[in-house]
Amino acid sequence: MPRRALAAAVVALVLPLSACGSGGDDSGSTDASGKVEGDITFQTWNLRANFKPYFEGLVADFEKKYPGTNVKWVDQPAEGYADKISADAAGGTLPDVVNVSPDLVAPLAKAGLALDLDKAAAKYKKEYLPGAWASHEIPGTEGTYAFPWYLNTGPLFYNKSLFKEAGLDAAKPPKTYDELFDDALELADKSDGKVATLANVPTIEDFGRYGVELMNKEGTAFAFNDAKGVELLTKYKELYDAKALDPQALTATPESSGKKFLTGAVAMNPGSALDLGNFKKQAPNLYKNIGITDQITSTGKVNMYVMGVMVNAQTKQKPAAVAFAHFVTDAQNQMSFAKKVAIFPSTAGSLDDPYFTEEDGTDETRVRIAAAKSLKNAVNYTPVLFSEQMKTELRNSVAKALQGKVSPKEALDNAVKACDRLLQQQG
Amino acid sequence: MASSSGTASSRTASPGKVPTGGASVGSASPGDGGDGDGRPAGAVARVRRQLPTSPWLFAAPGLLVVGIFILYPFVSTVVNAFTDRRTLIPGEFVGLANFRELLHDEMFWIGLRNSTLYVLGVVPALVLLPLLLALLVQKNIPGIAFFRSAFYTPVVASIVVVGLIWVWLLDERGLVNSLLEAIGVGRIGFLSDQWLLLLSAMTVTVWKGLGYYMIIYLAALANVPRELHEAAAVDGAGAVRRFLTVTVPAVRSTMVLVGALSSVAAFKVFSEVYLMAGPGGGPAGEDTTLVMLVQRTGTGLTGRVGYASAISVVVFVVTVALMLLVLRADRKEDA
Repeated sequence: MPRRALAAAVVALVLPLSACGSGGDDSGSTDASGKVEGDITFQTWNLRANFKPYFEGLVADFEKKYPGTNVKWVDQPAEGYADKISADAAGGTLPDVVNVSPDLVAPLAKAGLALDLDKAAAKYKKEYLPGAWASHEIPGTEGTYAFPWYLNTGPLFYNKSLFKEAGLDAAKPPKTYDELFDDALELADKSDGKVATLANVPTIEDFGRYGVELMNKEGTAFAFNDAKGVELLTKYKELYDAKALDPQALTATPESSGKKFLTGAVAMNPGSALDLGNFKKQAPNLYKNIGITDQITSTGKVNMYVMGVMVNAQTKQKPAAVAFAHFVTDAQNQMSFAKKVAIFPSTAGSLDDPYFTEEDGTDETRVRIAAAKSLKNAVNYTPVLFSEQMKTELRNSVAKALQGKVSPKEALDNAVKACDRLLQQQG
Repeated sequence: MASSSGTASSRTASPGKVPTGGASVGSASPGDGGDGDGRPAGAVARVRRQLPTSPWLFAAPGLLVVGIFILYPFVSTVVNAFTDRRTLIPGEFVGLANFRELLHDEMFWIGLRNSTLYVLGVVPALVLLPLLLALLVQKNIPGIAFFRSAFYTPVVASIVVVGLIWVWLLDERGLVNSLLEAIGVGRIGFLSDQWLLLLSAMTVTVWKGLGYYMIIYLAALANVPRELHEAAAVDGAGAVRRFLTVTVPAVRSTMVLVGALSSVAAFKVFSEVYLMAGPGGGPAGEDTTLVMLVQRTGTGLTGRVGYASAISVVVFVVTVALMLLVLRADRKEDA
């Protein structure tokens, strides 16, 4: 008896655990034809707090359009979003429709958890900007794994009074990296090292905007350690030594550098149209002196961020999930969302709407129009296969070069080597 | 597993160990008569039939909790350490490959160095300072409760809030640097220099832990016989001598306990360094600790779970070794 009791205890212990594990072995068929009906779950990324009525209306409209469907909307906080998705993906509880960015889609697609929309929803492809549709293609796999949703690009804000104090023309902010480096050194020199121009070390997007080839053509190895990459890092080292780059840049986060800009310790900072309201409220003096300019780029093309809506390849309600993902991202709903928040639609022709082309004299509109214009030839510089671990490798190598522990060339060689190793391990 | 289940079943089958319901409960058959306590034979038979399984039923909830939330994750970690498992890919058995890779991973050695430095820097302070603090607030004088509570306050404060406040204090333009600049010392890069950053994080750990260990020492000090102090005083011992010859020997076991607890906590430090040095682990990751490395390597959609598990196993082995070392030192002193 006790043995049997023990065996029962062991079975009771093991049974629930055996339910854990990835996915299940659903065939992963891409066939999304059939009647749109059933219950689906839709997960967004930190959007409930500000846009609850919009999404409730969206869900209600969809359910009205397709009777017999029921959409459960869940929202996850921004912090740890990737961890939440990875826990769901590993536990087989990934929602049917998920808000993702291209770098999140890549591992999910490779694990067979993202539906190939080139097969399941090819008929919708023409509704989107070609570049936006292509942003969810994953090198090394065939197909496109998410509907493009909203696009974003941020202007660069600068503090006009700091520019004037340094004897620089506040009406002519730098546009290219070379101009930026000249102005930054001037600012540091005139302020005796007290005012830095930038508060962040260069990221992979900076290398892209500087014109560095980030990966080889096949997408199988990184290449940002070329002569141009070394040139960029050497310039940044010069800035760091002259205190034109904030001394705490090596440990900075976007939030901490934003605070430095608010307090006038830093002269330039990237941001979005949303930040203007923030400046007005938190730093009225800065707001009076705020300058708005395009992102620094030496390629003529700014960086854009793409959001996507992915369909879980394991969903039991494929027709409904695909229909809903398309519904969220169609031209009408994207336009309506764009009018609520400073984002830009990825649907063809939407950026020609007067909302994105006609001035009304306000700063907000000026930022919106400039951003919409620059988006037409913007590039998502972050390679979709560039994981968090790779970002850390690059950041650490860059920091070593700035501290003078290794040469810029050696730092980038090390970073490329480490990133290539991680790329291979990703499979 | 086989041997442990055998042990467990043989224990429960041993009739002599069961304290209630008569001596032969475990081996009784339903046909036996009464057991002499006046209860009807049928009722006893029912009890006899139920008893062998009932201990397991009582233990089942506890076993389930222990099994699912303690043993399973632990065993999984050890098993994963020998695989190349990633977040979304189960991976395959790779033997000692992860451990061999650790030997050549610069970041692992940085993590091991920082975690070890943390133990060396924090533990002596956390063994001695709370004892001195406990001596200060031990006396029952009016208003002492205020000081006891005040010193305990950092313990109950959220580590995130504590971390943020210290970051504000030690920032390049923070309060401390402004004061230093005002007195002509100039600004110090507490949060941008690799070693100062680690030292700052250690300071926060000590500051936050002082009150907790002070309470443990207060309990120990309450048990030190007053006569010993009086006798030492009569013999002419001053305060310092009484501390060294009476107080310290009397609370030595508590000091060992504090040493063991704080060394394990220090070796596994995460929050303080993470909050002050940032997710990247300070400039060029030079302030990364082993647990930060586990977090960074093993999380996210592309996390290397197998490799992170191997680092966890190293952390486990070192912490157990630390505990054994401290306890062994204690036994030697006792002998």
